Amino acid sequence: MSSTPPDPSAFDAEAYARAAAAALGLPLDPRHRPGVAANLRLAARMAAAVEGLPLAPADEPAPVFVAGRNAPG
Amino acid sequence: MEVVESALADIAVRDRTLNCFTAVTADRARAEAAAVDAAVAAGRDPGPLAGVPVAAKNLFDIEGLTTLAGSKIERDKPAAARDTFVLRRLRAAGAVPVGALNMDEYAYGFTTENHHHGPTRNPHDPGRIAGGSSGGSAAAVAAGLVPLSLGSDTNGSIRVPASLCGVFGLKPTYGRLSRGGAYPFAASFDHVGPFARSAADLALAYDAAQGADPDDPAQQWREPAPASPLLDSGIGALRIAVADGHFARNGHGEAFAAVAAAARALGATARVEVPEAARGRAAAFLITMAEGGNLHLPDLRTRPDDFDPMTRDRFLAGALLPASWLLQAQRVRAAYRARVLPLFEEWDLLLTPATPYVAPRIGQDTVEVDGEAVPVRPNLGVYTQPISCIGLPAMSVPLVDPGAAGAPGGLPIGLQLVAAPWREDLLFRAARALERAGVAGSPTPPR
Repeated sequence: MSSTPPDPSAFDAEAYARAAAAALGLPLDPRHRPGVAANLRLAARMAAAVEGLPLAPADEPAPVFVAGRNAPG
Repeated sequence: MEVVESALADIAVRDRTLNCFTAVTADRARAEAAAVDAAVAAGRDPGPLAGVPVAAKNLFDIEGLTTLAGSKIERDKPAAARDTFVLRRLRAAGAVPVGALNMDEYAYGFTTENHHHGPTRNPHDPGRIAGGSSGGSAAAVAAGLVPLSLGSDTNGSIRVPASLCGVFGLKPTYGRLSRGGAYPFAASFDHVGPFARSAADLALAYDAAQGADPDDPAQQWREPAPASPLLDSGIGALRIAVADGHFARNGHGEAFAAVAAAARALGATARVEVPEAARGRAAAFLITMAEGGNLHLPDLRTRPDDFDPMTRDRFLAGALLPASWLLQAQRVRAAYRARVLPLFEEWDLLLTPATPYVAPRIGQDTVEVDGEAVPVRPNLGVYTQPISCIGLPAMSVPLVDPGAAGAPGGLPIGLQLVAAPWREDLLFRAARALERAGVAGSPTPPR
Protein backbone atom coordinates (compact mmCIF):
# COMPACT_ATOMS: atom_id res chain seq x y z
CA MET A 1 0.00 0.00 0.00
CA SER A 2 2.70 2.47 0.88
CA SER A 3 5.48 3.48 -1.42
CA THR A 4 8.37 5.88 -1.23
CA PRO A 5 7.29 9.39 -2.23
CA PRO A 6 9.25 10.80 -5.16
CA ASP A 7 12.32 12.88 -4.44
CA PRO A 8 11.65 16.30 -6.04
CA SER A 9 15.38 17.07 -6.16
CA ALA A 10 15.90 14.13 -8.54
CA PHE A 11 13.44 15.63 -11.03
CA ASP A 12 14.99 17.11 -14.19
CA ALA A 13 12.26 19.67 -14.84
CA GLU A 14 13.73 21.13 -18.04
CA ALA A 15 14.13 17.76 -19.72
CA TYR A 16 10.65 16.74 -18.60
CA ALA A 17 9.16 20.00 -19.91
CA ARG A 18 10.72 19.48 -23.33
CA ALA A 19 9.48 15.90 -23.60
CA ALA A 20 5.98 16.54 -22.27
CA ALA A 21 5.54 19.65 -24.41
CA ALA A 22 6.43 17.63 -27.49
CA ALA A 23 3.81 15.03 -26.55
CA LEU A 24 1.20 17.79 -26.28
CA GLY A 25 2.22 19.60 -29.46
CA LEU A 26 3.01 22.61 -27.31
CA PRO A 27 5.86 24.71 -28.70
CA LEU A 28 7.96 25.82 -25.73
CA ASP A 29 9.84 29.02 -26.45
CA PRO A 30 13.37 28.83 -24.99
CA ARG A 31 12.67 32.17 -23.25
CA HIS A 32 9.83 30.54 -21.30
CA ARG A 33 11.66 27.34 -20.34
CA PRO A 34 13.36 28.56 -17.13
CA GLY A 35 10.05 29.85 -15.73
CA VAL A 36 8.22 26.69 -16.73
CA ALA A 37 10.90 24.52 -15.14
CA ALA A 38 10.79 26.55 -11.92
CA ASN A 39 7.04 26.06 -11.74
CA LEU A 40 7.38 22.35 -12.43
CA ARG A 41 9.92 22.02 -9.62
CA LEU A 42 7.47 23.73 -7.26
CA ALA A 43 4.71 21.39 -8.50
CA ALA A 44 6.99 18.42 -7.85
CA ARG A 45 7.32 19.49 -4.21
CA MET A 46 3.52 19.72 -3.99
CA ALA A 47 3.23 16.30 -5.63
CA ALA A 48 5.61 14.82 -3.07
CA ALA A 49 3.36 16.27 -0.35
CA VAL A 50 0.20 14.68 -1.73
CA GLU A 51 1.99 11.39 -2.34
CA GLY A 52 2.95 11.38 1.32
CA LEU A 53 -0.63 10.66 2.41
CA PRO A 54 -1.33 6.93 2.48
CA LEU A 55 -4.45 6.13 0.46
CA ALA A 56 -6.55 2.99 0.14
CA PRO A 57 -8.09 1.75 -3.12
CA ALA A 58 -11.45 3.02 -1.83
CA ASP A 59 -10.08 6.58 -1.75
CA GLU A 60 -11.58 7.71 -5.05
CA PRO A 61 -10.88 11.06 -6.73
CA ALA A 62 -13.04 13.90 -5.39
CA PRO A 63 -15.00 14.71 -8.61
CA VAL A 64 -18.00 12.40 -8.94
CA PHE A 65 -19.59 11.96 -12.35
CA VAL A 66 -23.39 12.14 -12.45
CA ALA A 67 -25.13 10.46 -15.37
CA GLY A 68 -28.06 12.85 -15.26
CA ARG A 69 -29.98 15.11 -12.95
CA ASN A 70 -33.33 16.82 -12.94
CA ALA A 71 -33.37 20.46 -13.95
CA PRO A 72 -34.16 22.87 -11.14
CA GLY A 73 -37.89 23.33 -10.75
CA MET B 1 -30.62 58.04 -9.85
CA GLU B 2 -28.74 60.41 -7.53
CA VAL B 3 -26.92 57.52 -5.91
CA VAL B 4 -25.81 56.14 -9.27
CA GLU B 5 -24.79 59.59 -10.58
CA SER B 6 -22.77 60.17 -7.46
CA ALA B 7 -21.03 56.79 -7.84
CA LEU B 8 -20.24 57.47 -11.50
CA ALA B 9 -18.77 60.88 -10.66
CA ASP B 10 -16.70 59.41 -7.82
CA ILE B 11 -15.40 56.61 -10.05
CA ALA B 12 -14.46 59.09 -12.79
CA VAL B 13 -12.24 61.03 -10.40
CA ARG B 14 -10.84 58.55 -7.89
CA ASP B 15 -10.41 55.50 -10.08
CA ARG B 16 -7.72 57.30 -12.08
CA THR B 17 -5.46 56.50 -9.15
CA LEU B 18 -6.94 53.24 -7.89
CA ASN B 19 -7.45 51.49 -11.26
CA CYS B 20 -10.27 49.27 -10.04
CA PHE B 21 -12.44 49.58 -13.14
CA THR B 22 -11.69 48.26 -16.61
CA ALA B 23 -15.02 49.52 -17.98
CA VAL B 24 -17.72 51.85 -16.67
CA THR B 25 -21.21 51.29 -18.09
CA ALA B 26 -22.52 54.80 -17.39
CA ASP B 27 -25.30 54.94 -19.99
CA ARG B 28 -26.70 51.62 -18.97
CA ALA B 29 -26.43 52.53 -15.28
CA ARG B 30 -28.37 55.76 -15.81
CA ALA B 31 -31.10 53.95 -17.75
CA GLU B 32 -31.46 51.25 -15.12
CA ALA B 33 -31.41 53.74 -12.25
CA ALA B 34 -34.17 55.67 -14.01
CA ALA B 35 -36.18 52.46 -14.27
CA VAL B 36 -35.78 51.90 -10.52
CA ASP B 37 -36.96 55.46 -9.85
CA ALA B 38 -39.93 54.87 -12.15
CA ALA B 39 -40.83 51.68 -10.30
CA VAL B 40 -40.79 53.54 -6.98
CA ALA B 41 -42.87 56.38 -8.43
CA ALA B 42 -45.40 53.85 -9.72
CA GLY B 43 -45.69 52.29 -6.27
CA ARG B 44 -44.00 49.03 -7.24
CA ASP B 45 -41.54 47.28 -4.91
CA PRO B 46 -38.12 47.99 -6.46
CA GLY B 47 -36.41 45.23 -4.46
CA PRO B 48 -34.08 45.11 -1.46
CA LEU B 49 -31.14 46.48 -3.49
CA ALA B 50 -33.12 49.25 -5.20
CA GLY B 51 -30.75 51.66 -6.92
CA VAL B 52 -27.62 50.20 -5.29
CA PRO B 53 -24.60 50.52 -7.62
CA VAL B 54 -22.82 47.21 -8.09
CA ALA B 55 -19.73 46.29 -10.11
CA ALA B 56 -18.40 42.89 -11.16
CA LYS B 57 -14.95 41.40 -11.70
CA ASN B 58 -14.37 41.37 -15.43
CA LEU B 59 -14.62 37.58 -15.71
CA PHE B 60 -18.39 37.94 -15.26
CA ASP B 61 -20.44 38.39 -18.41
CA ILE B 62 -21.87 41.90 -18.52
CA GLU B 63 -24.24 42.49 -21.42
CA GLY B 64 -22.61 44.66 -24.07
CA LEU B 65 -19.04 44.23 -22.76
CA THR B 66 -16.46 41.71 -23.85
CA THR B 67 -15.63 39.41 -20.94
CA LEU B 68 -11.89 39.90 -20.48
CA ALA B 69 -11.08 37.72 -17.47
CA GLY B 70 -8.12 40.04 -17.00
CA SER B 71 -6.59 39.06 -20.32
CA LYS B 72 -5.47 40.61 -23.59
CA ILE B 73 -6.42 37.44 -25.47
CA GLU B 74 -10.15 37.75 -24.82
CA ARG B 75 -10.25 41.32 -26.18
CA ASP B 76 -10.88 39.83 -29.63
CA LYS B 77 -14.07 38.09 -28.49
CA PRO B 78 -17.59 39.42 -29.05
CA ALA B 79 -19.47 41.25 -26.34
CA ALA B 80 -21.53 39.21 -23.90
CA ALA B 81 -25.16 38.83 -24.98
CA ARG B 82 -26.50 38.86 -21.42
CA ASP B 83 -25.41 39.32 -17.84
CA THR B 84 -23.98 36.51 -15.77
CA PHE B 85 -26.54 34.65 -13.63
CA VAL B 86 -25.67 36.24 -10.28
CA LEU B 87 -25.68 39.72 -11.80
CA ARG B 88 -29.13 39.05 -13.24
CA ARG B 89 -30.21 38.05 -9.75
CA LEU B 90 -28.83 41.25 -8.22
CA ARG B 91 -30.54 43.33 -10.91
CA ALA B 92 -33.82 41.58 -10.17
CA ALA B 93 -33.37 42.82 -6.59
CA GLY B 94 -32.96 46.38 -7.88
CA ALA B 95 -29.15 46.71 -8.07
CA VAL B 96 -27.68 48.80 -10.87
CA PRO B 97 -24.50 47.52 -12.56
CA VAL B 98 -21.99 50.34 -13.13
CA GLY B 99 -18.99 48.51 -14.58
CA ALA B 100 -16.35 45.80 -14.76
CA LEU B 101 -13.40 45.39 -12.39
CA ASN B 102 -9.73 44.58 -12.72
CA MET B 103 -8.27 41.19 -11.76
CA ASP B 104 -5.26 38.92 -12.18
CA GLU B 105 -5.19 37.44 -15.66
CA TYR B 106 -7.59 34.48 -15.85
CA ALA B 107 -7.81 34.73 -12.03
CA TYR B 108 -4.41 33.08 -11.58
CA GLY B 109 -2.90 35.29 -8.90
CA PHE B 110 -3.37 36.91 -5.51
CA THR B 111 -2.18 40.45 -6.29
CA THR B 112 -4.00 42.09 -9.27
CA GLU B 113 -0.71 43.35 -10.68
CA ASN B 114 -2.27 42.97 -14.12
CA HIS B 115 0.26 43.43 -16.93
CA HIS B 116 -2.32 44.51 -19.52
CA HIS B 117 -4.39 46.95 -17.46
CA GLY B 118 -1.94 47.91 -14.72
CA PRO B 119 -2.13 47.12 -11.01
CA THR B 120 -5.15 47.91 -8.89
CA ARG B 121 -3.97 50.04 -5.97
CA ASN B 122 -4.93 49.53 -2.37
CA PRO B 123 -7.18 52.41 -1.22
CA HIS B 124 -5.38 52.42 2.13
CA ASP B 125 -1.96 52.87 0.49
CA PRO B 126 -1.74 53.27 -3.30
CA GLY B 127 1.82 51.91 -3.24
CA ARG B 128 0.50 48.54 -2.15
CA ILE B 129 -1.44 45.79 -3.86
CA ALA B 130 -5.17 45.31 -3.40
CA GLY B 131 -4.75 41.54 -3.32
CA GLY B 132 -6.32 39.26 -5.87
CA SER B 133 -7.45 37.89 -7.99
CA SER B 134 -10.63 39.91 -7.32
CA GLY B 135 -8.53 42.99 -6.49
CA GLY B 136 -10.69 45.50 -8.32
CA SER B 137 -13.78 44.12 -6.58
CA ALA B 138 -12.30 44.52 -3.09
CA ALA B 139 -10.64 47.89 -3.70
CA ALA B 140 -13.74 49.44 -5.31
CA VAL B 141 -15.80 48.56 -2.25
CA ALA B 142 -13.07 49.55 0.23
CA ALA B 143 -12.72 52.94 -1.45
CA GLY B 144 -16.48 53.49 -1.37
CA LEU B 145 -16.74 53.68 -5.17
CA VAL B 146 -19.55 51.09 -4.96
CA PRO B 147 -21.18 49.54 -1.88
CA LEU B 148 -21.32 46.05 -3.40
CA SER B 149 -19.27 44.04 -5.86
CA LEU B 150 -18.97 40.52 -7.20
CA GLY B 151 -15.81 38.44 -7.33
CA SER B 152 -14.72 34.86 -7.75
CA ASP B 153 -12.66 32.66 -5.46
CA THR B 154 -10.82 29.53 -6.57
CA ASN B 155 -8.08 29.44 -3.93
CA GLY B 156 -8.73 32.64 -2.00
CA SER B 157 -9.43 35.25 -4.65
CA ILE B 158 -12.31 36.81 -2.68
CA ARG B 159 -10.96 36.32 0.85
CA VAL B 160 -7.39 37.52 0.18
CA PRO B 161 -8.23 40.91 -1.35
CA ALA B 162 -11.04 41.39 1.19
CA SER B 163 -8.46 41.02 3.99
CA LEU B 164 -5.89 43.30 2.36
CA CYS B 165 -8.44 46.03 1.54
CA GLY B 166 -10.42 45.80 4.78
CA VAL B 167 -13.84 44.68 3.53
CA PHE B 168 -16.13 41.70 4.06
CA GLY B 169 -15.89 38.97 1.42
CA LEU B 170 -17.89 35.76 1.22
CA LYS B 171 -16.87 32.53 -0.48
CA PRO B 172 -19.99 30.41 -0.13
CA THR B 173 -20.09 26.61 -0.09
CA TYR B 174 -18.90 25.07 -3.37
CA GLY B 175 -22.04 24.60 -5.43
CA ARG B 176 -24.15 27.22 -3.63
CA LEU B 177 -24.10 30.15 -6.08
CA SER B 178 -24.25 29.67 -9.82
CA ARG B 179 -21.13 30.31 -11.84
CA GLY B 180 -23.15 30.47 -15.04
CA GLY B 181 -21.78 33.22 -17.26
CA ALA B 182 -18.53 33.54 -15.30
CA TYR B 183 -15.27 32.75 -17.11
CA PRO B 184 -13.82 29.61 -15.45
CA PHE B 185 -10.34 29.13 -14.00
CA ALA B 186 -10.20 25.74 -12.24
CA ALA B 187 -13.70 24.32 -12.31
CA SER B 188 -13.05 21.97 -9.37
CA PHE B 189 -12.70 24.98 -7.08
CA ASP B 190 -14.37 27.93 -8.78
CA HIS B 191 -16.81 29.84 -6.57
CA VAL B 192 -18.44 33.25 -6.91
CA GLY B 193 -19.40 35.61 -4.10
CA PRO B 194 -19.95 39.19 -2.94
CA PHE B 195 -17.93 41.95 -1.23
CA ALA B 196 -19.40 44.65 1.03
CA ARG B 197 -18.46 47.00 3.87
CA SER B 198 -20.84 45.44 6.40
CA ALA B 199 -22.20 42.01 7.21
CA ALA B 200 -25.74 43.24 6.55
CA ASP B 201 -24.91 44.52 3.05
CA LEU B 202 -23.00 41.33 2.31
CA ALA B 203 -26.06 39.30 3.37
CA LEU B 204 -28.35 41.32 1.10
CA ALA B 205 -26.09 40.59 -1.89
CA TYR B 206 -25.70 36.92 -0.98
CA ASP B 207 -29.45 36.48 -0.51
CA ALA B 208 -30.21 38.13 -3.83
CA ALA B 209 -27.59 36.08 -5.69
CA GLN B 210 -29.06 32.70 -4.72
CA GLY B 211 -31.14 30.71 -7.17
CA ALA B 212 -30.96 27.58 -9.28
CA ASP B 213 -29.25 27.78 -12.66
CA PRO B 214 -29.12 24.85 -15.08
CA ASP B 215 -26.07 26.46 -16.74
CA ASP B 216 -23.75 25.61 -13.82
CA PRO B 217 -22.93 21.88 -13.84
CA ALA B 218 -21.55 21.99 -10.28
CA GLN B 219 -24.36 23.92 -8.63
CA GLN B 220 -26.37 22.01 -6.02
CA TRP B 221 -29.97 22.96 -6.52
CA ARG B 222 -31.01 23.67 -2.97
CA GLU B 223 -33.75 25.88 -1.62
CA PRO B 224 -32.56 29.46 -1.13
CA ALA B 225 -31.22 30.00 2.37
CA PRO B 226 -31.32 33.75 3.05
CA ALA B 227 -28.89 34.99 5.68
CA SER B 228 -30.41 38.41 6.39
CA PRO B 229 -33.25 37.16 8.61
CA LEU B 230 -30.71 35.32 10.81
CA LEU B 231 -28.11 38.06 10.95
CA ASP B 232 -28.94 39.25 14.46
CA SER B 233 -29.52 35.81 15.97
CA GLY B 234 -26.30 36.17 17.94
CA ILE B 235 -23.76 33.47 18.56
CA GLY B 236 -25.62 32.01 21.55
CA ALA B 237 -24.40 28.50 22.12
CA LEU B 238 -22.28 28.27 18.98
CA ARG B 239 -19.13 26.24 19.53
CA ILE B 240 -16.24 28.22 18.12
CA ALA B 241 -12.59 27.16 18.00
CA VAL B 242 -9.33 28.63 16.76
CA ALA B 243 -7.57 26.61 14.07
CA ASP B 244 -4.11 25.49 15.13
CA GLY B 245 -1.14 23.92 13.36
CA HIS B 246 -0.86 25.12 9.75
CA PHE B 247 -3.09 28.10 10.66
CA ALA B 248 -0.91 29.12 13.60
CA ARG B 249 2.25 29.25 11.44
CA ASN B 250 3.24 30.76 8.11
CA GLY B 251 2.25 34.35 8.90
CA HIS B 252 3.09 37.61 10.64
CA GLY B 253 1.89 38.77 14.05
CA GLU B 254 -0.99 40.87 12.73
CA ALA B 255 -2.60 37.83 11.11
CA PHE B 256 -2.69 35.98 14.42
CA ALA B 257 -3.64 39.12 16.35
CA ALA B 258 -6.73 39.45 14.16
CA VAL B 259 -7.73 35.89 15.04
CA ALA B 260 -7.03 36.48 18.73
CA ALA B 261 -9.19 39.62 18.78
CA ALA B 262 -12.09 37.74 17.21
CA ALA B 263 -11.58 34.76 19.53
CA ARG B 264 -11.76 37.02 22.59
CA ALA B 265 -14.95 38.67 21.38
CA LEU B 266 -16.59 35.35 20.51
CA GLY B 267 -15.41 33.55 23.65
CA ALA B 268 -13.45 30.99 21.65
CA THR B 269 -10.78 29.46 23.83
CA ALA B 270 -10.23 26.01 22.33
CA ARG B 271 -7.63 25.34 19.63
CA VAL B 272 -8.13 22.54 17.12
CA GLU B 273 -5.89 21.07 14.48
CA VAL B 274 -7.29 20.98 10.95
CA PRO B 275 -5.79 17.66 9.87
CA GLU B 276 -3.67 17.59 6.71
CA ALA B 277 -4.31 21.26 5.89
CA ALA B 278 -0.90 21.70 4.22
CA ARG B 279 -1.49 18.60 2.10
CA GLY B 280 -4.93 19.92 1.17
CA ARG B 281 -3.27 23.12 0.03
CA ALA B 282 -0.78 21.12 -2.05
CA ALA B 283 -3.64 19.21 -3.67
CA ALA B 284 -5.43 22.45 -4.52
CA PHE B 285 -2.20 23.86 -5.96
CA LEU B 286 -1.76 20.93 -8.36
CA ILE B 287 -5.41 20.64 -9.42
CA THR B 288 -5.60 24.38 -10.08
CA MET B 289 -2.42 24.35 -12.11
CA ALA B 290 -3.51 21.36 -14.21
CA GLU B 291 -7.06 22.57 -14.84
CA GLY B 292 -5.90 26.08 -15.66
CA GLY B 293 -3.17 24.84 -17.98
CA ASN B 294 -5.54 22.55 -19.82
CA LEU B 295 -8.19 25.26 -20.16
CA HIS B 296 -5.76 27.60 -21.91
CA LEU B 297 -3.78 25.04 -23.88
CA PRO B 298 -5.05 26.20 -27.31
CA ASP B 299 -3.82 29.76 -26.69
CA LEU B 300 -0.63 28.53 -25.00
CA ARG B 301 0.17 26.65 -28.21
CA THR B 302 -0.41 29.56 -30.55
CA ARG B 303 0.10 32.86 -28.71
CA PRO B 304 1.98 32.37 -25.42
CA ASP B 305 3.42 35.87 -25.54
CA ASP B 306 -0.07 37.36 -25.35
CA PHE B 307 -0.42 36.00 -21.80
CA ASP B 308 0.52 38.11 -18.81
CA PRO B 309 4.11 37.19 -17.89
CA MET B 310 2.83 36.74 -14.32
CA THR B 311 0.63 33.81 -15.35
CA ARG B 312 2.09 32.40 -18.57
CA ASP B 313 4.79 30.11 -17.19
CA ARG B 314 2.44 28.70 -14.56
CA PHE B 315 -0.19 27.90 -17.16
CA LEU B 316 2.45 26.34 -19.41
CA ALA B 317 3.78 24.21 -16.56
CA GLY B 318 0.24 23.30 -15.52
CA ALA B 319 -0.52 21.96 -18.99
CA LEU B 320 2.45 19.61 -18.62
CA LEU B 321 1.73 18.04 -15.23
CA PRO B 322 1.77 14.23 -15.12
CA ALA B 323 -1.76 12.80 -14.91
CA SER B 324 -0.87 10.86 -11.76
CA TRP B 325 -0.02 14.06 -9.90
CA LEU B 326 -3.45 15.42 -10.74
CA LEU B 327 -5.35 12.25 -9.87
CA GLN B 328 -3.41 11.73 -6.66
CA ALA B 329 -4.30 15.31 -5.72
CA GLN B 330 -7.99 14.65 -6.42
CA ARG B 331 -7.88 11.52 -4.26
CA VAL B 332 -6.09 13.39 -1.48
CA ARG B 333 -8.70 16.12 -1.76
CA ALA B 334 -11.45 13.61 -0.96
CA ALA B 335 -9.43 11.95 1.82
CA TYR B 336 -8.61 15.35 3.33
CA ARG B 337 -12.30 16.28 3.29
CA ALA B 338 -13.12 13.02 5.10
CA ARG B 339 -10.67 13.98 7.84
CA VAL B 340 -11.89 17.56 8.22
CA LEU B 341 -15.69 17.22 8.15
CA PRO B 342 -15.86 15.38 11.53
CA LEU B 343 -14.47 18.57 13.14
CA PHE B 344 -17.88 20.13 12.54
CA GLU B 345 -19.56 17.56 14.75
CA GLU B 346 -17.75 19.24 17.63
CA TRP B 347 -17.43 22.79 16.35
CA ASP B 348 -19.79 25.14 14.53
CA LEU B 349 -17.16 27.64 13.44
CA LEU B 350 -13.40 27.78 13.05
CA LEU B 351 -11.34 30.97 13.19
CA THR B 352 -8.22 31.21 11.05
CA PRO B 353 -6.13 34.05 9.66
CA ALA B 354 -7.33 35.27 6.25
CA THR B 355 -3.96 36.41 4.92
CA PRO B 356 -0.48 35.92 6.37
CA TYR B 357 0.28 39.65 6.36
CA VAL B 358 -1.02 43.07 5.39
CA ALA B 359 -0.84 44.22 1.76
CA PRO B 360 2.69 43.98 0.32
CA ARG B 361 4.09 46.71 -1.91
CA ILE B 362 3.32 46.55 -5.62
CA GLY B 363 6.16 44.63 -7.25
CA GLN B 364 7.40 43.06 -4.01
CA ASP B 365 8.66 39.54 -4.66
CA THR B 366 9.60 38.09 -1.29
CA VAL B 367 8.68 38.47 2.36
CA GLU B 368 10.21 37.01 5.49
CA VAL B 369 8.03 34.47 7.29
CA ASP B 370 9.20 32.37 10.23
CA GLY B 371 12.79 33.47 9.50
CA GLU B 372 12.74 32.45 5.84
CA ALA B 373 12.34 34.52 2.68
CA VAL B 374 9.26 33.19 0.87
CA PRO B 375 7.66 34.28 -2.42
CA VAL B 376 5.11 36.88 -1.42
CA ARG B 377 2.43 36.17 -4.03
CA PRO B 378 1.61 32.44 -3.73
CA ASN B 379 2.01 32.61 0.05
CA LEU B 380 -0.93 35.03 0.25
CA GLY B 381 -3.24 32.02 -0.16
CA VAL B 382 -1.67 29.90 2.55
CA TYR B 383 -4.77 30.03 4.79
CA THR B 384 -7.52 30.27 2.21
CA GLN B 385 -6.43 27.49 -0.15
CA PRO B 386 -6.89 24.58 2.30
CA ILE B 387 -10.49 25.75 2.91
CA SER B 388 -11.67 26.21 -0.68
CA CYS B 389 -9.97 22.93 -1.57
CA ILE B 390 -12.89 21.17 0.12
CA GLY B 391 -15.55 23.76 -0.63
CA LEU B 392 -16.22 24.90 2.94
CA PRO B 393 -18.05 28.22 3.24
CA ALA B 394 -15.75 30.97 4.50
CA MET B 395 -15.85 34.69 5.09
CA SER B 396 -13.06 37.21 5.34
CA VAL B 397 -13.98 39.65 8.10
CA PRO B 398 -11.96 42.90 8.45
CA LEU B 399 -10.70 44.30 11.74
CA VAL B 400 -12.23 47.72 12.27
CA ASP B 401 -9.01 48.99 13.91
CA PRO B 402 -6.11 47.00 12.47
CA GLY B 403 -3.57 49.37 14.02
CA ALA B 404 -4.72 48.35 17.49
CA ALA B 405 -3.91 44.74 16.58
CA GLY B 406 -0.41 45.75 15.57
CA ALA B 407 -0.90 45.79 11.81
CA PRO B 408 2.04 47.68 10.27
CA GLY B 409 1.00 51.21 9.33
CA GLY B 410 -2.54 50.45 10.48
CA LEU B 411 -3.10 48.68 7.16
CA PRO B 412 -6.18 46.47 6.87
CA ILE B 413 -6.14 42.83 7.87
CA GLY B 414 -8.97 40.35 8.18
CA LEU B 415 -9.62 36.98 9.72
CA GLN B 416 -11.32 33.98 8.17
CA LEU B 417 -14.49 32.40 9.55
CA VAL B 418 -15.07 28.82 8.37
CA ALA B 419 -18.20 26.68 8.77
CA ALA B 420 -19.53 23.29 7.71
CA PRO B 421 -20.90 22.97 4.18
CA TRP B 422 -24.15 24.94 3.66
CA ARG B 423 -23.83 26.82 6.97
CA GLU B 424 -23.15 30.28 5.58
CA ASP B 425 -25.75 31.51 8.10
CA LEU B 426 -23.27 30.86 10.92
CA LEU B 427 -20.60 32.94 9.19
CA PHE B 428 -23.00 35.87 8.97
CA ARG B 429 -24.12 35.56 12.58
CA ALA B 430 -20.53 35.55 13.83
CA ALA B 431 -19.51 38.42 11.54
CA ARG B 432 -22.42 40.48 12.83
CA ALA B 433 -21.53 39.62 16.42
CA LEU B 434 -17.97 40.80 15.75
CA GLU B 435 -19.29 44.07 14.36
CA ARG B 436 -21.45 44.57 17.43
CA ALA B 437 -18.48 43.82 19.68
CA GLY B 438 -16.52 46.59 17.97
CA VAL B 439 -13.97 44.16 16.54
CA ALA B 440 -15.05 43.91 12.91
CA GLY B 441 -15.82 46.65 10.44
CA SER B 442 -14.53 48.16 7.27
CA PRO B 443 -11.89 50.77 8.11
CA THR B 444 -12.22 54.03 6.17
CA PRO B 445 -9.29 54.67 3.84
CA PRO B 446 -7.67 58.10 3.67
CA ARG B 447 -9.09 60.41 0.95
